[in-house]
Amino acid sequence: MLRIEHLTKIYPNGTKALDDVSLTVPDGEFLVIVGLSGSGKSTLLRSINRLIEPTSGKIFLDGIDVTAASPQQLRRIRLEIGMIFQQFNLVRRQSVLTNVLSGRLGYVATTPSLLRRFPAADLERARHNLSRVGILDKAQQRADTLSGGQQQRVAIARALMQEPKLMLADEPVASLDPATSHSVMRYLEEINREDGITVIANLHFLSLARRYATRVVALKAGRIVFDGPPTEIDETRFRAIYGEDAVEVEIR
Amino acid sequence: MSENGAAPKQLADPLVGERSAFREIRFFVIVAAIVAAHVYGWYITRIDLVGLVTGLPNMQHIVAGLVQPDLVERVVETAAADVPFGLGCADRAPRTASPKLGDATAELEVSPGCGQPGDAVTVTGRGFPAGRDGQLFLVDPSGLSRRGPTFAVGPDGSFQQLFQAPDGSGAYTIRIQTQAPTGAWRPSETLSLSLSKILETLFLALMGTTASVLVTLPLSFLGARNIMHGSAVADAVYYGTRTVFNVLRSVEVMIIAVIMVVVVGIGPFAGVLAIVIHSIGALGKLYSEAIESIDPGPIEAITATGASRIQVIAYAVVPQVVPAFLSFTFYRWDINVRMSTVIGLVGGGGIGYILIQYINLLQWNQAATAIWLITIVVMALDFSSAYLRRKLI
Repeated sequence: MLRIEHLTKIYPNGTKALDDVSLTVPDGEFLVIVGLSGSGKSTLLRSINRLIEPTSGKIFLDGIDVTAASPQQLRRIRLEIGMIFQQFNLVRRQSVLTNVLSGRLGYVATTPSLLRRFPAADLERARHNLSRVGILDKAQQRADTLSGGQQQRVAIARALMQEPKLMLADEPVASLDPATSHSVMRYLEEINREDGITVIANLHFLSLARRYATRVVALKAGRIVFDGPPTEIDETRFRAIYGEDAVEVEIR
Repeated sequence: MSENGAAPKQLADPLVGERSAFREIRFFVIVAAIVAAHVYGWYITRIDLVGLVTGLPNMQHIVAGLVQPDLVERVVETAAADVPFGLGCADRAPRTASPKLGDATAELEVSPGCGQPGDAVTVTGRGFPAGRDGQLFLVDPSGLSRRGPTFAVGPDGSFQQLFQAPDGSGAYTIRIQTQAPTGAWRPSETLSLSLSKILETLFLALMGTTASVLVTLPLSFLGARNIMHGSAVADAVYYGTRTVFNVLRSVEVMIIAVIMVVVVGIGPFAGVLAIVIHSIGALGKLYSEAIESIDPGPIEAITATGASRIQVIAYAVVPQVVPAFLSFTFYRWDINVRMSTVIGLVGGGGIGYILIQYINLLQWNQAATAIWLITIVVMALDFSSAYLRRKLI
C-alpha cells in the first residue's frame, strides 16, 4: 500500500507543483491521474520514487518511509517501483536485450554488471518478459530501430525485470498513436490484473482513464480536485478539472 | 487594443520600429570603429604589398626545391688515387705516382712537385675511368683533407686540373677521387630519413593522443555539469576540473614543448609530453560537453531501477557518449599529427626536427622531401579521420 501525506513540492524558481497532496493507494489498484499539463502529475509520480525530492510531506510504501530513506535504502525501495516514461527513455544505441537487462541492475553485483555480465537466471527473466510483451524476436536489435509502441513495450519489460510491486507510468502513451496507445495500455492492464502490480499512470485523455482505471485522481494546480471511480466524472466535474473552455476528445 | 480609449493617437509602425535615428548612428559608429581597427592593423602589422611582389623572386630556391624533392639516388661507385705534394720546399721537380685503380694502374703527375703558397699547381692523370666526375682533395700533413676543384675525366681516361696551393708547409698528399652513379635507383638518404621521421611523427601523435585520452576519460565526467551537481563538493570538483582544462588548453603545444625539452631533453618524448598536456585540456572540454549534451531520459530511467551511480554512468551515460568520444578522439589525433610535424622545430622530435635543419642549411631539395611527406600524410589523415567520424555519427 502506498500512502502519501501532505506532499508539497516547490521548485527553486518558486513554482508550487504540489500543494498538500494526500492520497492512499491500496495494492492492486489501477490509479489514473489526470489533469492539464503543469497540474503536477509528473511531479507527484516522480516524488514517489524520489527522482524529484519533495519539499515537505511524507510517502510510505508498505509502511517504509520513502522520504526519509538513506541513499542505500532508497535504492532498495526503488527496486519495488518500476517506471515507464513518455519518451520511453531507452538507451537508443544499445540492444533491446541490454536495455531490458538494465532493469536488473539494482539486484546484481556492481563489477560484473559493469562488464555487461548477468546471471543466467536474469537472462531467462529477460526472455520471459520480452516474450510477454511480444518482442522476443527483436532482442538483438538496437532499441532505436523499433517503433514507438515497441520501444514502450521494451520499457515495460525493463520495469518488469525489477519484479516491482508498484508500476509508475508517466504519460506512457502521449507519444503514441491511438491504436498503439491501447496496445500499451492493455499490457499495463494485464500486469495489473495478472501479477497484482499496482499501477499509477498519468494520462492526458479522460477516455483512456475511463477505459482502464479502477480509480481516477484529478490534479489541478497541484491540488486534488477529484478522487473517485471513473464513472463519476460527468460534464461538471470534467470542467472543474480541465477548465470552462475544455471539450473532451475521445480516444477510441 | 484599438477599443482602449487610452491608446496613443499615433501608433509607431511596427515594421519600422522606434528610435531608428539612434540605430542608424550606432550602425555607422560600429562600422567606423571596425574600419579604424583595420587601418591601424594595417599599420602595426607593417603590411607591404610592394615588398610582397618584389620579394617573390627570393622564393625561387624554395620553389625550385619543392618541384625537385630529393627522393631517389643511384648507387655511386668511387675510386681514389694519391700523389705526394710538398709545400714550402725548394724541389720543384714534378712528382709522380702509379696508384692502383681497381684492376688497372693509373698514372698521376703533380707539377711542381713542391710549391710555395699561392703557386698554380697542375695535376695530370691518365688511365682513369673515362667520363667520370672527379674531385680533387688536398690532404695536409695531419691527415685533414680539404675539398678542391671538381672536373670531368676525358673520354681517353686523362685529365688535367689546376689548383692554387694554400698556405702551409710540409708533406701533403693530393687525392683524386672519381665517382659515377652506377646500378639501380634507390630511395635517397633524405627520403629514408624523412620516412623514418614521419613514422616517428605519427607515433608521437599516437602516444600523445592515447595518453591524453586515458587521463581525460575519467576527468571529463568530473567536468560535466549533469554529473557533478547537487553538493558543494560536486560544484568545487566541477569548477576545478573545468579550470584545469581551460588552462591546459590555452597554452599552445609549441610553448609546452619548449618547456618539456628543458625537462626531458631534446627528442620525441618531449613532444609526446607537450601533446599530452595540451590535449588533456582540449579533449577534456569536448568530452565534458558531450556528456552534458546527452539525453537525460535514460539516466532517469536507470536511476529509477535502483541502480547505483556508477551503474547509471555505465548504462545510461557511457553508451550515449561513445560515438562523440570516438569522433573527438580521431579529430584530436588528426590535429596532433599536424602539431607533431612542427613540434620538432623546437626540439620535440618528429619530422620537423630534420625539416628545420634542412631549411637552416638551405638544402631546399631535402626540405622539399620533408614538406611533401608532411603534406601527403596530413592530407591522408585528414581524409580518413573525416571518413571515420562520418561513419560514427
